Amino acid sequence: MNCPNCGTSNLDTASICVNCGRPLAGGAPPPPPPQTYTPPPPASRFETPAQPAVQQIPNYLWQSIVVTLCCCLPLGIVAIVFASQVNDKLRRGDIAGAMAASKNAKLFCLIALALGVVAMLVYALMFSGAIMQAIHEAQANS
Amino acid sequence: MKLRLTLSAIVAVAGAWVLYTFPPGAHSFYPPCVFHRVTGLLCPGCGTTRALHQLLHGHVAAAFKLNPFLFAVMLGGIYGSPNILRGQTPPLFMKPWFGWASLAVVVSWWILRNVM
Repeated sequence: MNCPNCGTSNLDTASICVNCGRPLAGGAPPPPPPQTYTPPPPASRFETPAQPAVQQIPNYLWQSIVVTLCCCLPLGIVAIVFASQVNDKLRRGDIAGAMAASKNAKLFCLIALALGVVAMLVYALMFSGAIMQAIHEAQANS
Repeated sequence: MKLRLTLSAIVAVAGAWVLYTFPPGAHSFYPPCVFHRVTGLLCPGCGTTRALHQLLHGHVAAAFKLNPFLFAVMLGGIYGSPNILRGQTPPLFMKPWFGWASLAVVVSWWILRNVM
C-alpha cells in the first residue's frame, strides 16, 4: 500500500506510514483491527475453557473433612481452608486461583493421610503384641 | 470403577467386623490419635472409632455422646455418596458458604469439646 501523503510503499498491515507517520488509508484500517481483535479473546478465553474447567477443578472438601476426622491431624483443617478457597475462587471466576487452591487442598489431604497411615503403621509395629493377644483372646473365647 | 467399589466394600465389611468384634476401649491395637497422644487435647475426630463400635451394636445414643460431629459427617456422606461414588463432587459441596461453614463447625467443635 502506498502512503496517500508521501507515496512511500508500506506493508498492507501497517496503520501509519513508515516515512511520514501519517495514518494510512484515512484512518479506516486502524478501527477494524481493535474491533476484530478485542472481542474474540474474551469470548474464547473466558467462556470456552471456563465452562469445562469449573467442573474439572475438584475442591477435595469431603476428602479434607474425612482426613480431619480419621487421621486426627490439624493438617486436615488446612486442607478444608484450601477446599473452601476453591469454591470461592470458582464463584469469582478466578480459574487459575481455584486450580492453585485445589492443588494445595489435595497436597494437604495427602500429607495428612500419609502421616496418619505412617503413625498407624508405627503403632501397629510397636504394639503387635497387643494384636497377637487380641487374636489369642478371640480364639480362647470361641 | 467396579473394582474400586468392590475393594472398598471388602475393606468396609472387614473393618466393620474388626470394629464390631473388638471393642476399641479394651483392645489397644487400634491406632491412637496422634494429636491426642502428643498434646493430651482432643481432636475433632477423637472418639470416632469407639462411636462406630457403639453404632455397630445399635447404641446410637452412646455413639452420639462419643462424637456428635461424626453424625454430621455421616449425614453429609449419605447425601453426597451417590455423586462421590461416580467420581463427582456433590453440588452442595461446591457452594462457597458450605466450605466455610464446615470449617467453622469443625473448628468450633474442636475448641468446644476441649473447654467443656
